[in-house]
Amino acid sequence: MMAMDWGYLFEVSLTGIASGGLYALAALAFVLVFKATRVVNLAIGEFLMAGAFLFMTFAAMWSMPLWVAIPAAVLACGLLGAVIERSMIRPLIGEPEFSAFMVTIGLSSILVGLAELIWDPEQHRLPDFMPTQPIMVGEAFLSPKVFWGAMTAVVFIAAALLLFRFWRGGVALRATASDQGAAYAMGINVPRVFSLAWVGSAMLAAVSGIIVGSIGGVSSTSMGVFGISVLVVVIVGGLDSVLGALVAGLLIGLIEALASTYLGGEYKLVATFLVLVVILLVRPYGLFGTREIERL
Amino acid sequence: MTKQTFSTRRRQLMLGAAAAAGTTALMRPFSVLAQSADEIVIGGSIPITGVFAFAGVGINDAFQDYVKMINDGGGIAGRKVRYVPEDTAYKVDVSVAAYKKITGANTVNLYYGDSTAFSKTINPELERNGNILMCGASFASELNDPEKYPHQFLVGPDYTEQFGILLKHIAEEKPGARVAFVYSDSEFGRDPIKKSEAAAKELGLSVPVTIMTPPGSVDVSTEVIKLRRAKPDYTIFHGYILAPIPEFITQGKQQGMTSKWMGTFWTMDSSTVMKMGPDGDGFMGVMPYRYYYDTESAPTLDKIRELRPEYQSTAYLQGWLAAMLLLESAKRCLEADKALTGDNLKAALNSLKDFDTGGLIGVPISIPGNSIPVGRVYKADMGAQKMVPASDWIQL
Amino acid sequence: MRIGTFKQSYVADAALFDSRTQHVWLAIAGLLLILFPFTANEYWLYLGCLVAINIASTTGLNILTGYTGLISLGQAAFMGLGAYTVALLQLHFNLPLVLNLLAAGAVAMAGGILVGIPSLRVKGLYLAIVTLAASFIAQFIFANFEFTGGTAGITMQPAQVLGVPLDTSFRLYWLIVPVTLLMLLGAANLFRTRIGRAFIAIRDRDISAEVLGIPLLRYKLLSFGLSSFYAGVAGGLFAYFYRVVTPESFPLTMSIFFLAAVIVGGMGSILGGILGAAFMTMVPEVLRLVFGLLPGAADLISLISPIRLVLFGTLIVGFLIFEPLGLAELWRRTRRFFHLWPFRN
Repeated sequence: MMAMDWGYLFEVSLTGIASGGLYALAALAFVLVFKATRVVNLAIGEFLMAGAFLFMTFAAMWSMPLWVAIPAAVLACGLLGAVIERSMIRPLIGEPEFSAFMVTIGLSSILVGLAELIWDPEQHRLPDFMPTQPIMVGEAFLSPKVFWGAMTAVVFIAAALLLFRFWRGGVALRATASDQGAAYAMGINVPRVFSLAWVGSAMLAAVSGIIVGSIGGVSSTSMGVFGISVLVVVIVGGLDSVLGALVAGLLIGLIEALASTYLGGEYKLVATFLVLVVILLVRPYGLFGTREIERL
Repeated sequence: MTKQTFSTRRRQLMLGAAAAAGTTALMRPFSVLAQSADEIVIGGSIPITGVFAFAGVGINDAFQDYVKMINDGGGIAGRKVRYVPEDTAYKVDVSVAAYKKITGANTVNLYYGDSTAFSKTINPELERNGNILMCGASFASELNDPEKYPHQFLVGPDYTEQFGILLKHIAEEKPGARVAFVYSDSEFGRDPIKKSEAAAKELGLSVPVTIMTPPGSVDVSTEVIKLRRAKPDYTIFHGYILAPIPEFITQGKQQGMTSKWMGTFWTMDSSTVMKMGPDGDGFMGVMPYRYYYDTESAPTLDKIRELRPEYQSTAYLQGWLAAMLLLESAKRCLEADKALTGDNLKAALNSLKDFDTGGLIGVPISIPGNSIPVGRVYKADMGAQKMVPASDWIQL
Repeated sequence: MRIGTFKQSYVADAALFDSRTQHVWLAIAGLLLILFPFTANEYWLYLGCLVAINIASTTGLNILTGYTGLISLGQAAFMGLGAYTVALLQLHFNLPLVLNLLAAGAVAMAGGILVGIPSLRVKGLYLAIVTLAASFIAQFIFANFEFTGGTAGITMQPAQVLGVPLDTSFRLYWLIVPVTLLMLLGAANLFRTRIGRAFIAIRDRDISAEVLGIPLLRYKLLSFGLSSFYAGVAGGLFAYFYRVVTPESFPLTMSIFFLAAVIVGGMGSILGGILGAAFMTMVPEVLRLVFGLLPGAADLISLISPIRLVLFGTLIVGFLIFEPLGLAELWRRTRRFFHLWPFRN
C-alpha cells in the first residue's frame, strides 16, 4: 500500500515544471523561426550545442569575463544563424516545406561534425556562473540552476509575446509568415525579415544552450535528444504559438518528471511521446496552434 | 558534314564490354596488402571518434607504442607484429564492417573490439574464423562466460566484479550501509545491476533505490530528488563517462545529502574526474590499474612515462595491457610450437599464472576464465589534482 | 538514339522494359550480379549484401515518402519490428526461411498501419513527428520487455536452407539479392496499377484526390502498410545478415539515413531508390579509402568520422538545393545525352 506522499509529489512536480521552463526557452527559438518563415528547424538541438560550445570557448578557453563571454557567444551564434539562413534556407524559398525541413536534418549532421572537428568529441563542463543557493518552497528543494533557467525562459517568452503583438517588426514577422506575396506588396522587406528571424532564433537558442549546458555539460551529441523533446513540445503547443511553447514546455517537463519518478527512468521519453500522440489525435494542430486552411 | 556514326548495335556492344571490364576491374580488392607470412597481425575496431573518442585515442596510441616497442626488441619469437586499426565512431555496424575488411585483407590472429555490442555481434564470425583471440574495451559481465565466448576475454574485472570490489570495500568500511545505484539506460549501464543488487544483499548491505537515467538526459533534478529521499550512505554510478555525475553530486550536496560518491572504470580517468570541480573531492571508484602518475615502483609505468612524457589516460593503460596480454598469448603459443589458432591462443592466455604486468596492475595476475577480477579503490584529491589509492588491491 | 520502338498492343505499351536495348542491358546487369560473388572478396560481398538490404528498405520508404508524399521518420523502427520477428520466430519455432520473412513483413505491416491511422487527422510535418514517436515507442518495447531480450537483444543461429547454413556473406548474397530484386520488381509494377496512381495523386494534392473519388484513409493506410512491409522484410534480411538484433541496432539516425537516401537518389522513382541507397552506403567506404591513400594517414584517422558527418549533411543540403530530383535525374540526363548523341537536345 503506497500512501500518497504529497510532499514528494509537490517537490517532483515543482522541479518538473521548472525544467519544463528550459524546454520552453528552446521551444521559443523554434517557434520564432516557424512563425516567420514556416521552416521547421529540426537542428534546434544543435544550435543549442553551438551556443554552449561558443560560450565555453569564450569563457573557459579564452578566459573572457562572464559579462563579455555570454553576449559574445549569443552574438556569435546569431551570426551562425544568419550564415545558415543565407546559404541554406534562402535558396529554398518557394520550394515545398519538406525541402527546408530535410535541409535542417542535413544541417544537424553538419553542425555535429563541425563541432567535433573544431573542438573535440569529448564531454565538457561549462564554467559555473549561476547562484548556488538552493531554492526552498516550504519543504521542497528546487535546484537553483533549473530555477533561474526557468525564470530566464519566462522573461524571454513574455518579451516575445509583447514583441509579436505590438512591435512593428513582430507584426512584419507574422505578416511574412501568413502571406509572403502580400507582405512584399505592403512594402515589408521579406528577405530581411527572414534573416532577422533566424538570427533571433539562433541567439535565443544560444541562451538556452548556455543554460542547459551549464546544467548537464556539453558535447557534440549531448543536445540531440534534448532537441527531440523540444520538437515534441512545439508540436504539442502548436508550431506557431509562443504561448503554446511555454504551456507545452511546462506540461512536458511535468509529465517527464512524474513518469521518471513514479514509473522509472526508461518511461521518460515514452510517456512524452504517448502524450504527443494523444494530443495530436484530439487537437491536430497542437494546443494553441492556428488551424491550417488548405486551399485547392 | 558527315560523321561516321557507329551503328546502334556496335555502340551497345562497345558500351557493354566497357561496363563489364570496368566492373570486373573494380571487383578486384582495392588493397591486397602484401603480408609477409611471418607477421603477427593485430586487428582493431577502435572508437577513435564518436562518443568514446577519448578512450579510442588512448587505446590506439597504446597499441602503436607497444607494438613498436616489441618490434624494436626483435618481435615475438622472431616474427614482426603489425597493428591494423580502423575507426568505428563506436557504431556497431561500422565496427563489423571494419572487422570484415581487416580480416579479409590480412591473416589476423589477435583482435581488439570497441564495444559490448560489437563483441557480442562478432562472436559467431569469430567462432567461424577459429583463429582469432579477441579482447576489447568492454567489461560486460555477459562476455565473462568462457562457454559462450570461448575466444574472448576482458582486460580487467567485469562490471559486476567491479561493483563487487566496491561493495566489498563498503562492507568493510561501514557494515550494513545503504548503497544506491545510479545507472544509464543502455546495455553498458544495465549490465551489472541485477547481479550487484544480489551481491550487495549477500554482503549485508541494503540497496534502497536503483535509478536509471535515459541516455542523453540533460536535466536530472527529478532523479536527484528520488536519490535524496532514499538517504543512501554510498551512491555508485555506472554506465557514464562524465555527465550527469557532477550534476548529481552538486545538487545532492546542495540538498544536504551526505552520501559518498563512487564510480566504475570508464568514469575513473583522472582528467575526467578532475572535471567534476571542487564538488568532486573525495569521489571514489574502482580501478584495475595504476594511474599514469603513480609513484609506487612499476617498471611498466616508467617505460610508458619515458615514451610519453604527458599524462596518458586510463584508456591508454587499458590498451597497453590488452596489447601485452594478446602478444603474451601469441608468444607462449609460438614458443610451445603451437599453431596460432583461437583455442591455442586462449589456452595460452589461461595459462597465465601470477603473471607480472610490470606493475601496471599492483599484484601478479592469473586469468583462469575470461576476466581479471582484481582492482583497487582510488579516491579523488582535488587539492593535489590526483587520484590516490584508498584501499589495497582487492581480488575476488 | 533510340528509334523504331512502336507497340502494337496496350499490354506491350505498358511494359516495364520495352526496348531491345533495355533487355540487353538487363541481361548484362543480371550477368554481373551473378558473377560478382565469385570474384569479390569477403569485404566487398559484405558491402554488396548491405547495399541490397538498404535498397529494399529505401524502396519501401520511397513508396511512402516519394510517391505518396507522407514523410516518415520511422523506417528504422519498422525494420526493427521485422528483425525482431525473424529473430523470435527463429528462436522459438523452426519455420522455414520464407515464412519467417513473410511474417516479418506482416508484423511490420501491422505496425505501419497502426502508425498510419492518425494520418487522416494530421498532415505533413505533424505526421512525421507521429512516426518519430512510433520509432521511440518501438525502441522502448524492444529494450524493456523480457521476451525481446531487453537491452542485450537476441542472437540468432544462421538460417538453414535445405540443410545449408547461411553463415557467410557469399551464401547470404544468394538470399538477399534475389529477395531485393523481387521487391524492386513489385514496387515498379505497383506504379503501373491503379493503386500506384492513387498514391501519386495523393502526393500531388490529396484533397483533390479525395474529390476525384480516391478514399484517402484507405489508400494512405495502404501506403503505410506496403512501405512498412518492405521495411519489415528488409529488417528480416538484416537479422539474418548480422545474426544479432539489439534495440540499439535501429536508431533514429538510421531512419534519417534512409530518408536521405530517398532524397539524394530522387524521390518518386524506383531507380532513385536504388541509386540513393547504393550511393549513401558507399560514401563512407570511399571516404575511408581516400583517407587511407593520403600521406600521414595514421594521424588523420580521427578526422574521418566528423568529416563523414559533415559530408552526409552536405550531400543532403546540396542535393536539395541544386538537384532536388536527385541522382536519378543526373542519370536521366546522362542517358539522354547518349540517346540523342550526336544531337544536343
